[in-house]
Amino acid sequence: MTTKRILIFAPLLLTLILLQSYFWVPTYEQQAKGNPERLNQYINASIGDAAILIPILSADSASSEIEGKVFEGLIDRDADLNFRGRLAKTWNIYEEAYFYINAAADIPNLGRLDPQAIVELLQNYKQKANLSPAALKQTLDNIRSISLIPPHTYTVTRSNKTSPTGKKTSEIKVSVSAPARFKLALDEVDQDLFTNLKHLLGDRYFSSFRGQQFLTTQPPIDKELLSFYARELLPAIEHNPVIVFNLRENVKFHDGHIFDAHDVKFTYDAIIDPKNLSPRIADYEPVKEVEVIDPLSVRIVYKRLYSPAIGTWGMGILPEHLLNSQALKAEALKLGQDPADFTMRQSAFKRHPIGCGPFVFREWKSDRFITLDRFDDYWEGPPHYKKYLFRVLPDLLTQEMEFYAGTIDSYGVQPHQVNRLKADPRFQSFSGPSFGYTYIGYNMRRKPFDDRRVRQALSMAIDVNKIIKFLLYNQGERITGPFVKQTDFYNPNIKPVPYDPEGALKLLAEAGWQRNAEGWLERNGQRLQFKLITNNGNDIRKAILAIAQDSWKQIGIDVRTDLLEWSVFIQERVNKMDFDALVLGWSMGIDPDLYQIWHSSQINPNQLNFVSFKNKEADDLIVKIRQEYNHDRQVQYCHRLHQIIADEQPYTFLYVSKWTAILDKRIVIREVDDTAEIVYKKITPTQTGNYTFYFNKWIKLAEMPELTP
Amino acid sequence: MLSFIGRSIVHKIITLFFVSIVSFLIIHLAPGEPSQVDPLNPKFTPEMVERFREAFHLDEPLHVQYLYFYRDLFTGKTISWKDNLPVLKKIWERFLNSLPLFIVGTILTWTISFPVGIRSALFRGGFYDRSSTFFAYLLISIPGFFFAYILIIFVVNQFQVPVIGMETFGIGDTAWSIRVMDRIWHLLLPSFLGATGGIAVLSRYVRSQMLEVEGQDYVRTAKAKGLSPDQVHYKHALRNALLPFVTMFGLILPGLIGGSVIIESIFAWPGMGRMAYEAILARDYPVILTLNFVSAVLVLIGTFISDLLYLVVDPRIRL
Repeated sequence: MTTKRILIFAPLLLTLILLQSYFWVPTYEQQAKGNPERLNQYINASIGDAAILIPILSADSASSEIEGKVFEGLIDRDADLNFRGRLAKTWNIYEEAYFYINAAADIPNLGRLDPQAIVELLQNYKQKANLSPAALKQTLDNIRSISLIPPHTYTVTRSNKTSPTGKKTSEIKVSVSAPARFKLALDEVDQDLFTNLKHLLGDRYFSSFRGQQFLTTQPPIDKELLSFYARELLPAIEHNPVIVFNLRENVKFHDGHIFDAHDVKFTYDAIIDPKNLSPRIADYEPVKEVEVIDPLSVRIVYKRLYSPAIGTWGMGILPEHLLNSQALKAEALKLGQDPADFTMRQSAFKRHPIGCGPFVFREWKSDRFITLDRFDDYWEGPPHYKKYLFRVLPDLLTQEMEFYAGTIDSYGVQPHQVNRLKADPRFQSFSGPSFGYTYIGYNMRRKPFDDRRVRQALSMAIDVNKIIKFLLYNQGERITGPFVKQTDFYNPNIKPVPYDPEGALKLLAEAGWQRNAEGWLERNGQRLQFKLITNNGNDIRKAILAIAQDSWKQIGIDVRTDLLEWSVFIQERVNKMDFDALVLGWSMGIDPDLYQIWHSSQINPNQLNFVSFKNKEADDLIVKIRQEYNHDRQVQYCHRLHQIIADEQPYTFLYVSKWTAILDKRIVIREVDDTAEIVYKKITPTQTGNYTFYFNKWIKLAEMPELTP
Repeated sequence: MLSFIGRSIVHKIITLFFVSIVSFLIIHLAPGEPSQVDPLNPKFTPEMVERFREAFHLDEPLHVQYLYFYRDLFTGKTISWKDNLPVLKKIWERFLNSLPLFIVGTILTWTISFPVGIRSALFRGGFYDRSSTFFAYLLISIPGFFFAYILIIFVVNQFQVPVIGMETFGIGDTAWSIRVMDRIWHLLLPSFLGATGGIAVLSRYVRSQMLEVEGQDYVRTAKAKGLSPDQVHYKHALRNALLPFVTMFGLILPGLIGGSVIIESIFAWPGMGRMAYEAILARDYPVILTLNFVSAVLVLIGTFISDLLYLVVDPRIRL
């Protein structure tokens, strides 16, 4: 019967065809050893694919990993996290400060003075050897020159929203007849300049300046809006920090074009161009202007004191000649698209980037891999690896299998595997604390969390060491405050809250909570009761929920728990501040700016201080930190701020988790020593745990070499 | 006949319209926002979120957004929010990747299930029938990802060959025959895994259909006429047992676009399922909605085809 035969032979034949393909496939052995080129390749794996390879437009970690290899910024952080020059050889930070003459204010003991007299006054005081207070002396010594800008008039046009939705606007002409203004050039940025100058000019010299009287508008507007424009157009005082970057000469883009200051300016212009929708725009908002002085120097003036701004120049620099408006227009026309709607986001560059980093982009197969070749003209000398490959492997077990098979070179170990894999003689391992922490946050708008003693007691009742030991397999460290633990902003003198249920009960008793007959804590007949929530899908947070619930129950607190889907959790609970307590984590950058998370102005819905932490001294410190350009003083402020936050315990700071990565042992650092001999060294991590810091010197060897210590 | 086809098409277009509305509403009313307007990133100022919302038309009322989206879809201008690539092009690329997986998986399912099911039915209650029942239930009850892990670990450790991805990574410039075979090898495991569930279910189904038909009077008549067992089973019984499968055949079509999230993720296969899953996580509405629309169209075409097939094979329906 043919039907029968077909039914039997068709599946057999198909299976045979499929199975015989096995004999054609190269084995892992052949792949890893049979191919000498493999030693010149570094293969990395990632869970997700890159999205867009333009540094100013991307916001995901996969894209930034590739961009870090293809593009180069003006500066980056060295092994100790200090800034070091890359495309910029050196840089210089100083300040220009301005204030308007306040004709209505009396100078102490001298009465009203004309502008020239004030300049002389300041210069005279500058000559004086002993002045009190000492801070004033320092401030005056820091002033390099004082000049006077004569009065002048000009007109600006502002558009004003007339309807609440902001759809309708009206145009307002503002005529400004600006009074004379003093310009102070400072050697270093000084946030206390005007505070100290008050000793000479009087306490109210700056605060009593009214800009409104110098403005006239067409049509006339109400007082409130007028004073808004006055503050914007005629601020009594103004700090303008300035950074001058001296650029490296003869640095080439991958297409051979020479990098210069115009590329820096172009990159800045591209970020702030609203058409590009750059997610980085907020970082550059404080920039007043970027000015090309000559092809190798560029001057950046800021509107106000904002020290995190320096770090933003680590942004990869884009090649102007490939992305400027003419180039985009030509590309749009070639593709037959409307040049008006055609931006960088549409250009082919986003999937074929060209920068001046150590690797040249070669190929990108979506959701499969990205290949980079080394750039032989790299200004710091080409990397040792010839190829850098980035594979997308969305599954962790698959990554692990591929690592054992030798088809990826590094593997991020999961906590439960650490002990086993660290001991494996085939691999070298690195580990360190990550840039982030997990915490329990208390909603301080609600009782009983408005009482510091209650928050401290809650922290004391949880045995964090046990969480680290049993939940994280010891792959975590205690943390006591909101700074990155590896940086010097973190105050190492603050001890973690001890596990002390007895002490917790004592604190709660002070706050009026007593145990009742059933063992529950009560005050005025009301039980201490609240709900602890977190997001679904994170097993560790879920376990913390249970541990906290149990620990608190043991001292008589009635805690309910709830798990919510991530977006519901964020939108309905966190953003609307509708929670008692929650388990959540922050990941952080190195910069110590805590404004968004801890400043008391950020406690409204949809802002990040959702626990409503308010502290006058902390607010001052947060503002001072973001205005301070001197590292040592910043560290000092941070240590104090850390102390305040640790004392207040708005969060129970739980832990910072540790990552572990393993590499094949045969990957080493190759260097040429003083006697021009090649030496091999073991890869050592930097102080902050970054083991890929010297990546460009890495190479894989066929056999384990003699290592030079 | 023609009027039936005409009516059917009109029905389906109306259904499609409602599907487009419902899927649009479900996705927009579900909590969560596109990752570009991620509120938990301190670097995102409200102005930027506002600007993104404006660029994505998220600030407009829902019905306007609906019109914008379908206008873009039909003019082929929809772009993904994640990487600004045209959605249709993206889907087409992934479709081509998922297609071989789908074809091999389907062929495996259909060619293996029939002989297995028929034999079980013919030797009902015997050792073969019992063990195939046992394996069918085993395959149905093993979670796919678990089975996949076991298979990967087994194959990699036992045979030392790569199984991840669409081809051996870095195979480079080898002879084309090796490259083709390499591709087939990489198809084997994922498509087999994708087919296991299908084989288990379909072979059970074939078995019960055969049993039902074997009990019919005309089969007994055929036997009584003295026809050979093969003629009875494969000519008289099987042909009539096949009828319900014709409908199922039309319904495979939507599977084309669905892909398999789990299998594709584990095997790092750049297919449709993975793209859809990632789009949902990132709330990339254009990609989700386009996929939704395309699969709705495919479902409707599938049912249409099975209706037609039924017309062809079963004369009773034509009446």
